[in-house]
Amino acid sequence: MQLLNTLLIGITAGSIYALMAIAFVLVWRSTRVVNFAQAGMALLSTYFGYEAVSRLGSFWVALPVAMIGGALFAALVELVLMRLLVKHASSGPIAGVAPIIATLGLLGVIRSVISMIWGGQDLRIVPPISNNGFTINGSTLVFSPLKLLILVVVVVLLILLTTLFQKTNLGLALRASAHAPEIARLSGVRVDAVRTLGWALAGAAGAVAGLFQTVNGNGNFSPDSIEFLLLLVSGFIAAVIGGLDSLLGAVLGGLFLGIAISFVLMYVSSGLFFIAPFVILLLVLFIRPQGIIGVKAGRRA
Amino acid sequence: MHKSKKESTHIPLFILGGVVLYFLSGFVDELRVYQGASIAVYVIAISSIILLTGYSGQVSLGHGALMAVGAYAAAVLRVEFNVPIILCFVAAVLAAAVGGSLLGAAAARLSGPYLAGTTLALAIGLPSLANQFSILGGEQGLAFDVGFPPLALGEEFTQYKWFFWIAALAALISMWSVRNILNSAYGRSWRAGRGNEVAAQLAGINTARSKVLAFTVSAGIAGLAGALLAMTIGTVSPSAFPLTLSFSLLTGAVLAGITTLGGVIIGAVVLVAIPEIADVVAHRLGSSESVTTNLPGLIVSGLLILTVLFVPNGPVEQHRARKAKHEAAHAGSKKNDKH
Repeated sequence: MQLLNTLLIGITAGSIYALMAIAFVLVWRSTRVVNFAQAGMALLSTYFGYEAVSRLGSFWVALPVAMIGGALFAALVELVLMRLLVKHASSGPIAGVAPIIATLGLLGVIRSVISMIWGGQDLRIVPPISNNGFTINGSTLVFSPLKLLILVVVVVLLILLTTLFQKTNLGLALRASAHAPEIARLSGVRVDAVRTLGWALAGAAGAVAGLFQTVNGNGNFSPDSIEFLLLLVSGFIAAVIGGLDSLLGAVLGGLFLGIAISFVLMYVSSGLFFIAPFVILLLVLFIRPQGIIGVKAGRRA
Repeated sequence: MHKSKKESTHIPLFILGGVVLYFLSGFVDELRVYQGASIAVYVIAISSIILLTGYSGQVSLGHGALMAVGAYAAAVLRVEFNVPIILCFVAAVLAAAVGGSLLGAAAARLSGPYLAGTTLALAIGLPSLANQFSILGGEQGLAFDVGFPPLALGEEFTQYKWFFWIAALAALISMWSVRNILNSAYGRSWRAGRGNEVAAQLAGINTARSKVLAFTVSAGIAGLAGALLAMTIGTVSPSAFPLTLSFSLLTGAVLAGITTLGGVIIGAVVLVAIPEIADVVAHRLGSSESVTTNLPGLIVSGLLILTVLFVPNGPVEQHRARKAKHEAAHAGSKKNDKH
C-alpha cells in the first residue's frame, strides 16, 4: 500500500514537473534560451488565477485566465527582452551568459513587482475538489480526487499540445522553425512570430504548473514560496533528463523525476527534499548526458 | 616569456591602497565603517565570479552556497575547536575550494545553461543540509566570533572597525592574488578556453583540467568571502546565504564588467549602496511598506537586465572600446588627409 501511495504521489508531482519541463523545452526550441524566469512567470500567472478565483469564484474560470495571462506575459517578454538581447548582447565575452543573466534578472524583477502589488504574505487558492484521499477497503490512500483531476487535466493538455504540433500547419511551422530556422524562413514561415508563439505556449504551460503546484500543496503561495523555486529546479531537471529538445522527453523526465523524488523522500529521508533533485540531476548528467530521448552527444549549448 | 611592465605584480600599489584605507577608516562613522567591511566582502566575492565567468566562461549560480561552505567551515572550527582566527579563514578557503573542485569536476562536462541550472539546484539544496547535521546548528546556525580587537589598537577602536580592517586586508590580498593569477599562464589558458575551446586544445591546453582549476580557485575565494560575511553578521545560518546572494554577486560582476577585475569596486559599492538609495527614493515618494521593502530587490534585478542589454561588457570595457574606436577613426581620417 505504501509502495502504491509513493508511486501515485510521484506521478502527480511528476505530471506537474512535466508541464514545467514542457515550458522549458518550448522556449529552448524557439529561442535556444533556458528561461530561468519561468518560475517567476508561473508565479505571476498563479496571482492572475488568484484574482480570477476571488472575483469570479470559480477555479475553472481561473485556470484559463491564468493560462491566457501567462501566455500574454511570456509573449511580451519575448517581444521586448529577448529581441533586445539578441540585438545588443550577442558579441563579446558576455554573449554566452547574457541570456542566463537576463532571465535571472527578470525572475528578480517579477518577484519584486509581485511583492509590491500583492504584498509578501501568504495568499490561498482553495482546490476545486477535495484533496482527501480515496478510501479503498477501509484504508485511505494518499491519492485524492484532486490529484486524479490534476492528472486528467495534464493528460488532456498534453494531447491538445501533441495535436497542435503534429496535426496542424501551425505545429509544422513551430517544428520547422525549431529545427531549421533559415530553411523555415525561406519556405515562408514567419519565424519571429512563431518564436513568440513558442514563448506564449510555454507561458500557458507554466501557468497550469503554477496553479496545480499551489493547490497540490497546501494551497498557500507567496512571492517567496520555496515551492516555486523547487518548481523551477524540478522543471529544469525534468527537461534536462528528457534532452531539453523533446516534448515527449520532458513528460517522461517529469514523471521519472517525480517518482524518483517521491521514493527518496519515502524510503531514504524526508530531509533530503531540497538536495535530492540536485543529486538526481548530477547522476543523470554523468550517466546519460544526452538525456533519455536525446541523441546528440554532450551537453554543450 | 615576454613580460611587459603593465603585468608586474603591483605590490606597491596594493600596499598604498591599504595605507589609504587605513587612514580613511579613522574619519568616517560606524555605519560607514560597517558598509566598508561589506564592500570589502563583496569585492572578494565578485572577483571570484569574474575569475570564473569572465575568464573561464563558466556560469555559477551556486557561489552563495560555496560561500556558505567556507563560512560553516570557519565557524565549526572556531566553535568546536577554538582554532585561531587566521586559521579559520584559511580553512574556509580550503573547504570551499574542495567543494568547488568537486562541483567543477561535474561542471567541466557542462556548459552554458546546463551549468547554470546545476549550480542553481545546488544553491537551493545545499543550505538546507545545515538542518541535517546538529554540528551545524540547524536553522539558528552557529555563532562566529572573531573576538575583540587587540588592546594595542587602543580603547577607541571599535568592533566594526576591526571587522573592516580584517575584511579590507583580506580584500587587498585576494585582489592582488587574483590579479596575478589572471595574468599568469593559468589565466591565459582560461581565456583561451573561453574564446575557442578547440583552438585551446590544439594549442596543448587541457581545457577540462583548466576549467576544474578555475572553479576550484574561484570557490576558494568565495569561501573566504563567506567566512568574512559571517564575521560581519556574527553568525552562520542557512538564511544568511539565500539564493538572492548568488544573484547579487552575478549582478555585481556584470556591473563591474564581467572581464574587468578593476571594476569589482564599482559592483561592490553599488550592491552596498542600493538598499540605501532605495530607502531614500521610497521616502521621497512616500511609498507603502511593501514597496519600500522590495525596492532594493527590484533595483538589483532591473540593473542586471539593463546592464546586460545596454552595457553588456561593463562600463569600463565599453568606455575603452569607444575610445579605441574613436582613435581608430581619428587615425583613419589622418591617413586620408595625406592622400
